[in-house]
Amino acid sequence: MEPVIETQGLKHVYIDADNNQVTALDGIGMQIQPGEFVAVIGANGSGKSTLARHFNALLLPTEGSVKVHGLDTLDENNLWRIRQDTGMVFQNPDNQIVAAIVEEDVAFGPENIGVPTEELKKRVEDALRAVDMLDYREHAPHLLSGGQKQRVAIAGTLALGSKCIVLDEPTAMLDPKGRKEILNTMKKLNREQHITVVYITHFMTEALLADRVIVMSKGKIEFQGTPKEVFSRVDELEKLGLEAPLAAKVAFELRKSGAKLPPGIITNEELAAALA
Amino acid sequence: MLDITLGQYYPGNSFIHRLDPRTKILSTLLLIIAVFLANTAVGYAALCAMVLFIILISGLPFMLVLKSVKPLLFIIVLTLVLHVVMGQGEHVLYQWKFIRVTEEGLRLGVQMAMRLILLLMISSILTFTTSPIVLTDGIEALLSPFRVIGVPAHELAMMMTIALRFIPTLMEETDRIIKAQTARGADFSGGNLLVRAKNMLPILVPLFISAFRRADDLAVAMEARCYRGGEGRTRMHQLAYRSGDVMAFVFAFAMIGLLAFLRWGPKLV
Ligand SMILES: Nc1ncnc2c1ncn2[C@@H]1O[C@H](COP(=O)(O)OP(=O)(O)O)[C@@H](O)[C@H]1O
Ligand SMILES: [Mg+2]
Repeated sequence: MEPVIETQGLKHVYIDADNNQVTALDGIGMQIQPGEFVAVIGANGSGKSTLARHFNALLLPTEGSVKVHGLDTLDENNLWRIRQDTGMVFQNPDNQIVAAIVEEDVAFGPENIGVPTEELKKRVEDALRAVDMLDYREHAPHLLSGGQKQRVAIAGTLALGSKCIVLDEPTAMLDPKGRKEILNTMKKLNREQHITVVYITHFMTEALLADRVIVMSKGKIEFQGTPKEVFSRVDELEKLGLEAPLAAKVAFELRKSGAKLPPGIITNEELAAALA
Repeated sequence: MLDITLGQYYPGNSFIHRLDPRTKILSTLLLIIAVFLANTAVGYAALCAMVLFIILISGLPFMLVLKSVKPLLFIIVLTLVLHVVMGQGEHVLYQWKFIRVTEEGLRLGVQMAMRLILLLMISSILTFTTSPIVLTDGIEALLSPFRVIGVPAHELAMMMTIALRFIPTLMEETDRIIKAQTARGADFSGGNLLVRAKNMLPILVPLFISAFRRADDLAVAMEARCYRGGEGRTRMHQLAYRSGDVMAFVFAFAMIGLLAFLRWGPKLV
């Protein structure tokens, strides 16, 4: 099957305020397959947000290429197709809601691409139902919780017809309840509607639920694999400034002091079972 | 928490509330013309009756609409007093030194005051019965024919939409900043104008920084959602004229006709 997102030798150089070149991405080659749930982790400044913006053609490669559903982001004719196919959800829940009424905001994307009124209404309703926000369709966004606002943002991408959603630290500003809401919503969309998910996060517990975890450092992919593979490499993660989940760390320390534990312990349940 | 209601929308489901916003904006303009046509006691009486009638079917509390006069009350009283005490004309009713009350002055003063009061009440009925969001749609639709002569109808409407969306957020933020600064011992009360303005700086600076940051984020988010200006955009809520709108227009034109007749038509008595 054709990958949803494919990058080859992707390099991105920013020119900062003092005219210095900042290499934010340095040769990224990766593929994301349809229906995958991929988590991207990495320390601050490792290039996660820059990478995410390439998936939506908000940034264009300095070198190398990005293909979204087979379409090259460098070709301007592909721009609107790409932005429909890959939706973006950003970190700050307030700063991505455009309209003063929930359903008007969800309609913003499809309105931009000229979806006819009747279909638009259906899309908005379906999208709000999918994120469980239909009851709030006529509410003012500023009265919603952070988690609810982010779900409205997710609905906005669904209404646009996105088959792939890229979320850039969507839970960073939310409370634990909101975090759970967003993760559950994305798991459900991934499971039931086969939405491909690229989920950037600095919460390792969220990355545990992904099919694949990509670890970034200094603009490069450091290593990747299943959550089990990635989070078992406790010391390597630590060197990159990332903290493995507590269970993985405990198992790691126990093993170091000679305990015989099976490999791949990353959740509390697995740790408890191994110690029982 | 701050309870922020934007504008002065008074939610309801009356005949007036349900009118198309374009109808309401245009009818308001027509009725304003009617007010300027009035020059007889009968004319003003007709206009007052009309305003009362509209308030009645809109389900708005009368006092609420009357209160919309308050911001300009001073000017209204001043207009009235000036016209009365500095009266022109020959039918002098009372004179003391430079104070001269004439029949003409009295009439003109009352007329001007009535005009202002009616204008305020009529336009406030528009904003009481139309949510700012719907009002924005109406303004955009009414302005869009003038795009050919360079009126940025869509851009204006988009600006209003974003303002409506972000004013509550920025107000919450201001509230938060004030509380934080007060907790650190800042004092926002007292002092002369200059001192007070200086005291506002610790609020304004973080507020502006955050507002620019929000604008930046929002621009990126809008672009990510395929925003490219008004060209080729559709709307979820299409505006549509219904039979009620026709009635409203007929009513507004009838008022203009009536007032024009009272002004220029054959005298009845
Ligand atoms: N607009 C910009 N101008 C200059 N440098 C930038 C800009 N945005 C990001 N950077 C730099 O690029 C690097 C990667 O940033 P970013 O992609 O935001 O990382 P992350 O999301 O992982 O924290 C950082 O060193 C950052 O300082
Ligand atoms: Mg980031």
